[in-house]
Amino acid sequence: MAEYDVCIVGSGAGASPVAYTLSKMGFSVVVLEKGPWLTENDFYKDELACCRRSVYTPSLQDEQHVIEDYDGRDKNGQYKWASEATSKSGWDFWNGNCVGGSSNFMSGFFYRLKPVDFYLRSEFGPIDGANVVDWPIQYEDLEPYYSKVEQLVGVSGRVVKHKFAEPRSTKDFPYPPTIEHPIVEHFDKACESLRYQSLPTPRAILPHTVGTRRGCEYSGYCGSYGCSTGAKGSGRAALLDDAVRTGHCKIIPYAKVYKLDSNNKGAVSHANYYDENGVSKKISAKIFVVACQAIETSRLLLASTGVKHPEGLANNTNQLGKNLLFSAGGSGTGEFYYKDMSRQQGEAFKRRGPFINRGLQDWYVIKDKKFSSHLKGGTIDFLLSHPNPTTRADSLKWDDSGKLVWGEALKQKVHAAFTEKQRFRFEVFNDWLPTDDCFVSLDNTVKDQWGSAVAKVRVGYHDHDLVVGKYLTQKAETVMQQMQAKNINSSVSGSPPANLVAGGCRFGKDPQTSVLNHDCQAHDVENLYVTDGSFMPTGGSVPYTWTIYANAFRVADIIKKRL
Amino acid sequence: MKKFNKKDNKRYRNSWEPCASSLPANSKLLSSRRHFFKQTTGLMVGMSFSATVMAKNKSKDSLSQTSNEPWLTISEVQEHLFPRTVTINNLPSPGAKDINAIGYLQTMLHLPSADKEETDFIIKGVGWLNGVANNQTGKPFIKLNDKQRERVLKKISASEAGENWLSTLIRYIFEALLADPVYGGNTKQLGWQWLKHQAGYPQPPKNKKYWMLKRKLIIKDMYSG
Repeated sequence: MAEYDVCIVGSGAGASPVAYTLSKMGFSVVVLEKGPWLTENDFYKDELACCRRSVYTPSLQDEQHVIEDYDGRDKNGQYKWASEATSKSGWDFWNGNCVGGSSNFMSGFFYRLKPVDFYLRSEFGPIDGANVVDWPIQYEDLEPYYSKVEQLVGVSGRVVKHKFAEPRSTKDFPYPPTIEHPIVEHFDKACESLRYQSLPTPRAILPHTVGTRRGCEYSGYCGSYGCSTGAKGSGRAALLDDAVRTGHCKIIPYAKVYKLDSNNKGAVSHANYYDENGVSKKISAKIFVVACQAIETSRLLLASTGVKHPEGLANNTNQLGKNLLFSAGGSGTGEFYYKDMSRQQGEAFKRRGPFINRGLQDWYVIKDKKFSSHLKGGTIDFLLSHPNPTTRADSLKWDDSGKLVWGEALKQKVHAAFTEKQRFRFEVFNDWLPTDDCFVSLDNTVKDQWGSAVAKVRVGYHDHDLVVGKYLTQKAETVMQQMQAKNINSSVSGSPPANLVAGGCRFGKDPQTSVLNHDCQAHDVENLYVTDGSFMPTGGSVPYTWTIYANAFRVADIIKKRL
Repeated sequence: MKKFNKKDNKRYRNSWEPCASSLPANSKLLSSRRHFFKQTTGLMVGMSFSATVMAKNKSKDSLSQTSNEPWLTISEVQEHLFPRTVTINNLPSPGAKDINAIGYLQTMLHLPSADKEETDFIIKGVGWLNGVANNQTGKPFIKLNDKQRERVLKKISASEAGENWLSTLIRYIFEALLADPVYGGNTKQLGWQWLKHQAGYPQPPKNKKYWMLKRKLIIKDMYSG
């Protein structure tokens, strides 16, 4: 007899909807989380804890990745790859290892995918060097679950009509928008004169108290901070706390799953994990759900070899870990000097706390004479520059020629940066095309603190990503110009943002070209499901979290039916 | 928000800060640090006896007293890098000593979770600094006047490793200036006041310092006595 109906590896946005749905139905669920179980009582506005020490993530000495990055081309014009352990480079690919996962630390910019994101290949045709495919499900299949997330996780916003608006089954968001910053008025005016449509950005943030979760306190420190009130829709605050209250969901923190055992029939029988004392333990269950964020999910399945799965679970057609996705695009800033404004306006611009909540999707599909045909575009989000003061001050210690500055000169520079201006920022999100140069494998030499092989990640990108990213960035800059921002600066690169990762276990109809079927069940392991962002064959041109939540609720319903 | 958090000063030093999460949490330019250690070995020969002893003395006693070396020297370097100035726009402007930058640095380097290699790097750098000071003037750094100190720091910053040493010290000075006062720096919120910085809330209480949040780290603290 299995000890549990369902064993879930991971506890974030992909895991928590499954734990919530099944424990509410009375099924026994165990959640294995590698990190600690932190709560609202542990989250303070502490820059050291959030962003300058490895508190919510492992020390890179204990657990790391090996990153394979471009290293020029060889004589034949082929790309060369150089691999470097992240303990050497300091390039951190962890995003939040604690109960609730990285959803504790997200900004909660919540976007649905649009219908077109489900059939990019049919709509835009093939792109050389990219493995773009249509999804095995349509927007309509996911829509009820997007709505469910609005209710259960808590999404605030307001619906407006625009040309790429997604169809909705409900009239409006269940929660009104959070309070907006005074700079928004200027943004909206600028967009109006440019004939762009300024869109309110939905947020996974409660504007007022709901049940045991308090509303947002507008402290001004949200993204990358744990929420002290429970307003932010983390998987922990929104779903797992309720799941635990049912009495049917057990969460084991400090439980690092390192291998899934499979039996002679190829089904998963046990999860093996190290507890906080480093002691290896086993848990049995009828069904196993893996959701420990894209890179680690692929890593765990690759490491879980068995009689029927010599290359790893769900890897009998050698697709596991392939077609890893990040979010392509870039970012930029513009500055507003208080001396150029009235005193009153200056005070308004200085404010910290209220949100910008504005974005542009006018170019979600680009139709421009510059390009021979229409192409997939993306989203531009606008926000205030992050308030972390230490990080900001420390970035000012270099002069324009890259020399270190100190003494009075440094103090003047820091004082001016902090007191004379507000910095407005934009971020561009467009599709990171799936390619053969972006994938997860196991590293042969580097081990984690328990002696397991770490994930090796090749982070190649497609040049097309930069074409689209640059196009959108130029549009974003026109808004900055219209707002009369100074020192407008932007950058588009193929550098992967480590917190926006998906793919590696894409779902699809054909086992030869996918890892999971349309139910997110492994093609070749009947009791194994993957519910984090790994299932996505293409990423859409928005942050993934809402889609991960929605799909996990969809899969939870599928599992519910078979239990 | 997007997180391009490659913790590499060189690559990102002139770009804006990424939004979601910080740049160099613990900028580790390991290769240049190793390079630095090589150079230090060569310079040790020319160093005075006391400087050599200072550099080698890493026992707990010397780590915990600011009146001892290498802390006396580091404190003077910090004040030179971040001096108290009478006014900026007619506002008082705190220096490294006003914000207890040296006490803060000691606290951080004492933690069981501290990066031992970085601690060694910071302490060995004092030996190197005094080696250069002695070569230039025949005196250790703390005996020099302001202009001489500036010349010595300019000299060491000309090498990548020396610049990295100073950059590391500045990173900790900025933490002492702007991290929550619960960590021992930012005395009476002087740093926040000077920069008109609006801090977030709630602020961390004494029993929720970052190293108290993870069980493993607490266990390490207990073992260290």
